[in-house]
Amino acid sequence: MNDIAKNTLEMAVATALGAQLLNWTSDVHGNHSGWVKLGATAELLALAPLLADCGARLMTVTAYRNDKFGRLESDGHEIAYHFDLEGVVLTVSVCLPDDPPRVASITPWFKNADWNEREFAELYGIVLEDHPNPRRLFLDKGLDAAILNRLVPLSTMMNGASTTTLWEKVFAGKQLPEWAKGGNN
Amino acid sequence: MPSTTYTLPIGPLHVALEEPMYFDIQVEGETVRSVELSAGHVHRGMEALAMQRNYFQNVTLVERVCSLCSNSHPATYCMAVENLSGLIVPERARYLRVIADEVKRIASHLFNVGIMAHLTGFDSLFMHAMEVREIMQDAKEGVYGNRMNLGQCIIGGCRRDIDDSTAPFLLGQLELLKPQLHELYGVFERDPLIRTRTQGIGLLSHAEARRHAVVGPVARASGVAYDLRRKAPYAVYPDLDFEVQTDTKGDVHSRALLRLREAVESVKIVEQCLRQMPGGPINTREVPVIPPGEAVARSEAPRGEVFYYVRSDGTDTPQRLKWRVPTYMNWEALQVMLANCQVADIALIVNSIDPCISCTER
Repeated sequence: MNDIAKNTLEMAVATALGAQLLNWTSDVHGNHSGWVKLGATAELLALAPLLADCGARLMTVTAYRNDKFGRLESDGHEIAYHFDLEGVVLTVSVCLPDDPPRVASITPWFKNADWNEREFAELYGIVLEDHPNPRRLFLDKGLDAAILNRLVPLSTMMNGASTTTLWEKVFAGKQLPEWAKGGNN
Repeated sequence: MPSTTYTLPIGPLHVALEEPMYFDIQVEGETVRSVELSAGHVHRGMEALAMQRNYFQNVTLVERVCSLCSNSHPATYCMAVENLSGLIVPERARYLRVIADEVKRIASHLFNVGIMAHLTGFDSLFMHAMEVREIMQDAKEGVYGNRMNLGQCIIGGCRRDIDDSTAPFLLGQLELLKPQLHELYGVFERDPLIRTRTQGIGLLSHAEARRHAVVGPVARASGVAYDLRRKAPYAVYPDLDFEVQTDTKGDVHSRALLRLREAVESVKIVEQCLRQMPGGPINTREVPVIPPGEAVARSEAPRGEVFYYVRSDGTDTPQRLKWRVPTYMNWEALQVMLANCQVADIALIVNSIDPCISCTER
């Protein structure tokens, strides 16, 4: 759709990292998505200023585990940074080192990285380097750190969110069964 | 901090906020000097839930991210899954998705400007705006059976057709709406109370809008002409005639007027869809195989750009499903908009970004 933006992003990636690192896909409407895989976080710091210079906008950041429930001891984290330039999407994925997983902040070039970085830090226990305000974003400090690094069974999640109100209405005027009292939640 | 400065805590529960957010505001006299936001009071852990539900169950889950943008979420999620699986949505279904999105946009924008009238103290205008909005609420109820969550989008298309009985009904509702929308725009544009309370406050310059990467009507009212329906077209928007609304004033008043103009454009879009929509199936009637891989999709929700990223490891549940709602991008720009404003204007300025807290936190 937007060949100028596509070429600009290609130039930025080639300048920072060399050629042949960027793959393109497109949807049925011809919207382009670029995909870059980085092996080291230092490469992210080489690319970020060039993307900022060409006017790219950070849309959001997704952190994830290769094994989503953390069942494998040393199955690492990756972070996907999603940028936009005039309708063209560029996703830059970077593998993080283990023990602890850490990554440098890109807030010097993208101000709106602030909240995104704080969010993945609290969810996955990823250490932020040189972040201007590295406190938690959404989760209270009384809650467990890095909650998405481990399996919390769906039944546990749902029990935690349930109340006995429904069953009290169902059994209105009758004896509430033991199982409906929520004592095991 | 000088002794003339004091802290004004607003929230997390406050009459001016529909949802809980905490603002730690430093005030000097009646003037705001700095703002610190604390979020997290309605965090629901939805992304964790999404990784434990299969791709089809997640359609229902994401429709509950946000009530006012509730069609944009399943529509964009489905587009991401369709991009990943290579599923081609029938053309009629793409029209039906646009109709649902635009009907929701009209209702959402009218809600926001109605609340703005309430916050200025003009309660009869608030009630009138909500009455006008009720025309679209009735349209949703009549066509989809629900007033908020339409349940229209499924992977591969839509659940419900618009047929010979519902299409004339929807057109009739639009006919009812058009003169009322026109009249409402005139009141918001010219009423002295509205103008006094909303013009020149909550200013966000073009440069600050770019620096904070704000989206949606907040960006467009500051001269950033970015609308995904034109920038990265999807569904059938390339075949539709409408104008992207922009302004350069970047204040509370211009954001409200821009939303009303967008509602007028949405009416035109729905009318075109009902005229142009071809016959044919409304979904693919197949259960797609979701291969390992990753895909993205975006759409222009009432509040701005919605972004979905889906990553599959080849099982029936996503390895990761991430979405970013428009309001997420707009919160921090409030520090610019609220700087040096009067305490009495805080609620009006916060409302002008059309804040959605529970969808920000998910």
